[in-house]
Amino acid sequence: MSTSERAFRDPAPAPATIGRPPDYLHESHTLRSWFLTTDHKRIALLYLAAITAFFVVGAIAAGLIRLSLVVPNGEIFTNDTYNKIFTVHGVVMVWFFLIPSIPATFGNFLIPLMIGARDLAFPRLNLLSWYIFVGGALFTLADLIIGGVDTGWTFYAPFSTTFSNTYVIPALIGVIIVGFSSILTGLNFVVTIHAMRAPGMTWFRMPIFVWTHYATSLIFLLATPVITIALILLLMERAFGIGVFDPALGGDPVLFEHLFWFYSHPAVYIMVLPGMGVISEIVPAFAQKRIFGYRFIAYATIGLASITFVVWGHHMFVNGIGTGAAVVFSVLSFAVAVPSAVKVYNWTATIYKGRIRLQTPMLYAMGYIGLFVLGGLTGLFLATLAIDEHVHGTYFVVAHFHYIMVGGTMLAFLGGLHFWWPKFTGRLYPEAWGRISAFLIFIGFNVTFFPQFLLGYLGMPRRYHDYPPEFQLLNILSSAGATILAAGYLFPMVYLIWSLWFGERASANPWGARGLEWTTPSPPPAHNFARQPIVDFEPYAYPDPPADDDGAAHVG
Amino acid sequence: MTTARRMSASVAAPEGVGIEVAEQFADATQQRHAAQLGMWAWLLTELLLFAGLFLCAAVLHVTHPAAVARAARHLKVWIGAANTAVLICSSLTMTGAITASRHGWRRWMLRCLLATAALGTLFLLLKGFEYYQDYLEHMTPFLDRPYALAGEPATRLYIDLYFLTTALHALHLTTGVAILLGMTWIARKPRFLHRHQNWIEVYGLYWHFIDLIWIMVFTLIYVVPR
Amino acid sequence: MSAPDTEPSLGGLLRHMRVAVAAFAALLVGLGAIVVLGVVAPSSASSVIMLVLLAAMVATVLLFSMEVPQEPPLTRFFSGLGFAWVAILVGMTLLDYFTR
Ligand code: HEM
Ligand SMILES: [Cu+2]
Repeated sequence: MSTSERAFRDPAPAPATIGRPPDYLHESHTLRSWFLTTDHKRIALLYLAAITAFFVVGAIAAGLIRLSLVVPNGEIFTNDTYNKIFTVHGVVMVWFFLIPSIPATFGNFLIPLMIGARDLAFPRLNLLSWYIFVGGALFTLADLIIGGVDTGWTFYAPFSTTFSNTYVIPALIGVIIVGFSSILTGLNFVVTIHAMRAPGMTWFRMPIFVWTHYATSLIFLLATPVITIALILLLMERAFGIGVFDPALGGDPVLFEHLFWFYSHPAVYIMVLPGMGVISEIVPAFAQKRIFGYRFIAYATIGLASITFVVWGHHMFVNGIGTGAAVVFSVLSFAVAVPSAVKVYNWTATIYKGRIRLQTPMLYAMGYIGLFVLGGLTGLFLATLAIDEHVHGTYFVVAHFHYIMVGGTMLAFLGGLHFWWPKFTGRLYPEAWGRISAFLIFIGFNVTFFPQFLLGYLGMPRRYHDYPPEFQLLNILSSAGATILAAGYLFPMVYLIWSLWFGERASANPWGARGLEWTTPSPPPAHNFARQPIVDFEPYAYPDPPADDDGAAHVG
Repeated sequence: MTTARRMSASVAAPEGVGIEVAEQFADATQQRHAAQLGMWAWLLTELLLFAGLFLCAAVLHVTHPAAVARAARHLKVWIGAANTAVLICSSLTMTGAITASRHGWRRWMLRCLLATAALGTLFLLLKGFEYYQDYLEHMTPFLDRPYALAGEPATRLYIDLYFLTTALHALHLTTGVAILLGMTWIARKPRFLHRHQNWIEVYGLYWHFIDLIWIMVFTLIYVVPR
Repeated sequence: MSAPDTEPSLGGLLRHMRVAVAAFAALLVGLGAIVVLGVVAPSSASSVIMLVLLAAMVATVLLFSMEVPQEPPLTRFFSGLGFAWVAILVGMTLLDYFTR
């Protein structure tokens, strides 16, 4: 205990505010010093700005979709416009928001801090991947908005190669380019986590956040190239007629789906694993308790990242794949639930009898756990062949993945944003507003998406905007929920920006959390640590709770 | 800690061979390790990139065996074989450059680098010649001219795949030669080996791997389906 | 400074590259064998033998040209991982085509 306490303080003999060297935000102020920076912390903020902008675009498109669905006969937009809007929504949210969201911002900022390194292994590559990301994404976005694309985010052949009359080619080029940014980020993280850990920072002393980012980075490396080549094949087929999917020649469009889902199922874990890492930091900090079953969570992380590669066929059950293969993919998909559930049990057990403080990040974390369970369980429904025959291509699927991607990843993102906001900016956000918006988001989310489970089960197909009038009530409910959700998102955008100037100044460790990142000042100096940290303590070394306690007394 | 391990033969290098440590690294060993690992991670992605194309070849082979065999027999297997030999030679010269760099033999290193670039260029020239032959024999179905196997549409899929795969490989090789020449230009300075010996090592991995990919392309696309 | 006069002759350089030269020779032999089996005298068993030969050539490049055994365990793991993942991709996709 005493050695570990000492080691914690060792790297940062927290200097007084006056006379301490300028932090990474104030070291220099020119535009150039931001746009040519190689500091992982500044690059993280560049990413934060970029993905927030993309989120706003995606959210506006979502609003338009919900607007259109208020009436059953599709009067508000034409079919073509509706198709283009949901493509904007899907492409922007999946490729330009969810995939880079947590890794490129929090991962970039925190991995070096958490493992006691000065920077990522390849700082210039890191900056390059931001430019690749922004360049590719803006290119696609311009195409989606000025020209319009109607393939959905999935770009299925032969519609995308032959039949669509929209501007598919530039969209493909942009998404391919953005893929390289994922690859470079993943490469940087893998090398950093392997080669740059501080002395004493063994694998099993790393925070779970770092483990999940390691697993995510492996998925980036192993899966992204396959989508790159799949999209290149589409591009060449559409642009030059050089391709292998054309059914008129005897080609098999399902082959494209294989390549696509070999990436895109693991990609859902690219979206969800980093969120799990965030939750694994927030929960112990706000329960003031050691995380339960640390090693199990670490192994479950690697387990998820591996199993996720052998289940992709569950997206293709009704698309003509072989029955034998369908059964194998179905059984393996059930297996994914095991490591997912391990994590949920571990978070719950961590909360149990903890000294719980229900501040904003914890509210988000609790919301995450509940919604992730619902999303995961409905995933099991979908993985069951007989049920999927019935609900494939319906709003049930839409609800399933929104429970995980919005209810899961998005809540984890906001939870993490509030949790580390003091570290990023040196300011505290206004707690009351934080709680209000967390509640709004939780309620708005459920009102929006729960009706979609019912709609899907009743047979409403996705991607159409006219539907039988008897579905109108549930659709209106869903659209009404979306307005609450939108308000919930607007609040943080306002008060977080407000707090940059008017927020209370944050101490190095406002939550009493453990982990190397809390031992440096908030915001950290450009080189992260005044001295090279030496790690001789376990992760999550929160003090043990008093033995004779019934726990309940501490809630609240 | 892993960083304490031996990274390559040049750790115990002769005087005048080494690397300049960048500020984010604690020491040269760590930096070497990181650079090496970074290249391996990149090669992992290259492997999976080409794996997608090999998968397409396998699926075409399963779904249209006769058409694939017919199409494959129209490929210029002898030029492909010659090109494989050229790349195998270039791997040897690349290893020569690495060996020379480890011993601080700058001249041999430069010679070997140039030889490697020359062999890479020879490969590209032969490849271009091969494409030209394909053109002459009407084996370019995507161009606006008659196609020799028009009676069997499925052959077209395989020929398209052949062009995509070899063109993607040629793109890698072209980039490779360009980087190689750029690096040779920098490496001609006398102090290069003091500061950046590991560039040669890391780049060598890339070159060998592109060679390896070609060996797979040749065997799997040209020969096996015949 | 590496003075030019310390540089060896070609033979001297090659003496330091015994493994590489052997690998080079092995690769050329492998290439020859593949060409013979696949082009000059194809038979029904050729494909399988060629795939085995290909695997051997890939292993030769990895082990001797790229010196995987001299790398830290992690790199060895990476190089294996890539091929394992290719096997998953190809294997499970073909499973579909074989069970249709
Ligand atoms: C317990 C683990 C999970 C299982 C068993 C599972 C299962 C499934 C299945 C079977 C489908 C296909 C439904 C259909 O199209 O008929 C599906 C769709 C989907 N899932 Fe999951 N899932 C799981 C976790 C996740 C996670 C973690 C995410 C995202 C973060 C996610 C995102 C999606 C998306 C985006 C789709 C729809 C893709 C599309 O067609 O556009 N899933 N899931
Ligand atoms: Cu899936």
